[in-house]
Amino acid sequence: MNQLIVKTKNLNFSYTKTRKDIEDLGLEVPKGSIYGFLGPNGSGKSTTIRLILGLLKKQSGNVSLFNKEHTAKTRLENLDKIGALIENPSLYGHLNAVENLKIAANYRNGISLERINEVLEIVKLTHAKKKKVKAYSLGMKQRLGLAVSLLSNPELVILDEPTNGLDPKGIIEMRTLIKELNEQYGTTIFISSHLLSEIEKTCTHVGIIRDGKMLYQDTVKALKQSKGKKMMVDLEVDKFIDAMTVLEELNKENTSLTDEFIQIEVESKTEITTVIDALRAKNIAVYQVSIKNNLEELFLSLTEN
Amino acid sequence: MTAITHYTTSTVNEFQKLKRTFAFWLTIISALFIPIIYLLYYLIKYKQLIPTEGVNPWDKFIVEQIRAAVPLLVPMFIVLVTSLIVQIEHKSSGLKHLFALPIPKWSIYFGKLTAVVCTIIIAYTLFFIFMVSVGYIVGMIHEELKFVSFTPNYFENIKLLFRSFIAILGIVGLQFWLSFRMKNFIIPLGIGTVLIVTGLIVYRAEEAVYFPYAYNMLSLFPIDKDLDSLIWFPTVSIYSLGYFLLFSLIGYIDINRKNIT
Repeated sequence: MNQLIVKTKNLNFSYTKTRKDIEDLGLEVPKGSIYGFLGPNGSGKSTTIRLILGLLKKQSGNVSLFNKEHTAKTRLENLDKIGALIENPSLYGHLNAVENLKIAANYRNGISLERINEVLEIVKLTHAKKKKVKAYSLGMKQRLGLAVSLLSNPELVILDEPTNGLDPKGIIEMRTLIKELNEQYGTTIFISSHLLSEIEKTCTHVGIIRDGKMLYQDTVKALKQSKGKKMMVDLEVDKFIDAMTVLEELNKENTSLTDEFIQIEVESKTEITTVIDALRAKNIAVYQVSIKNNLEELFLSLTEN
Repeated sequence: MTAITHYTTSTVNEFQKLKRTFAFWLTIISALFIPIIYLLYYLIKYKQLIPTEGVNPWDKFIVEQIRAAVPLLVPMFIVLVTSLIVQIEHKSSGLKHLFALPIPKWSIYFGKLTAVVCTIIIAYTLFFIFMVSVGYIVGMIHEELKFVSFTPNYFENIKLLFRSFIAILGIVGLQFWLSFRMKNFIIPLGIGTVLIVTGLIVYRAEEAVYFPYAYNMLSLFPIDKDLDSLIWFPTVSIYSLGYFLLFSLIGYIDINRKNIT
């Protein structure tokens, strides 16, 4: 079995006495994976990350990092192998990018000036390295925060909502960067996000959390297959009632809740052509056919009551 | 890394963070404040201030300025500068980052506390340098003030400032803990101001020797009757150091246990 870089067992935590914010959470991040930690706002993602890093004191349960229990004794040794970006990046606004990185580098052992320039290059901030951080845009700050977490070439990078505040180009760059890190250096990456599309595009593994409980945890591949082979397809046509009769002949049932689209279930993509042909034969205009994202639906069904 | 290197790294980093901050300018402005007033005072009213024959004008000049600074300016500066230095961390939400780094938590707490204490020492040093410089400047402009013919009584003056410095350490310990604990800058500032004013009201009472916010006044007018012979460590200094160690330790234990959100 794969070595687990992060493992939590029966983790419990609450900010107040009345509510459990993290309940019996069992997280397993395999070595070399890109683990997507997915959940709606306020589901306990950041709290879990803070518990893993030891910023919050767990009330019960276990946290193991790099196969060692994370305790006061192993704390420094474990943290030495981790680079973390937790929510808003911690940056000193009155200092420039290089000064910020120098301070972060001083706290760790043996990080050279070249490495500082290197990480600035990686996050594409070399042009703004002498600019005070308070004049940075949100996206630039986010990138500099990432640079700080990459400084020590860590074995595990923890990123809490890394694409927050980034523009579409920045998001794509961040995605590529994460994949590169993982492929070239074998860095294990733990990303939290509330966006399924984000996780789906980058991650190898996924954990879905709601109200502090782990609902699902497996590879992204397994998640995609778990919904079965059936696909949901949306159709937009001109003659709604006629189309329904045609579909009934094909034994297709409309499952849509709106009047704008007809929603049907198909076994495979070839079946879509059959449906279109049948509709066109009756002179029904087909304006749009789209395959619904199973994952999106699965995520919603998992995270909504 | 060893404990010593962790501590020095952390302290050096704290000084780097002070670059271009208001805390840095506040230190210089506070040290300049009273010497500037005295510069103007001696330039404008010099005729009334000419000393009698054979009297060293420096004694009056410097002791008066220290007396002007001690009741309010010094403790207010302590409260402000402590809050400002810790605020750098809160403003950048830096604590969660620092506490997730491979460095012991105590090195962060005591490194920052060292930076605060050093800033205060720098403020006292600058204050003394500015006072002496102003004395020589007015002395050169108006020779009849006799500043150039005499030399300041360095030893006694430094002793007076040293007593004041040790006496404020008790406040530093408490204010530092409060500032570290609360993200809101107004709370330690408000608590500090109220307690300073309380100190000014109660310092004459015998029991004031247990109240650290009165110590700075007491360092000038000791109530244990050693007025004539100023010693380096009066009773309040010992108590102040005691409070400093106590509050620093409690503060660290508290921060160490605290959940960082």
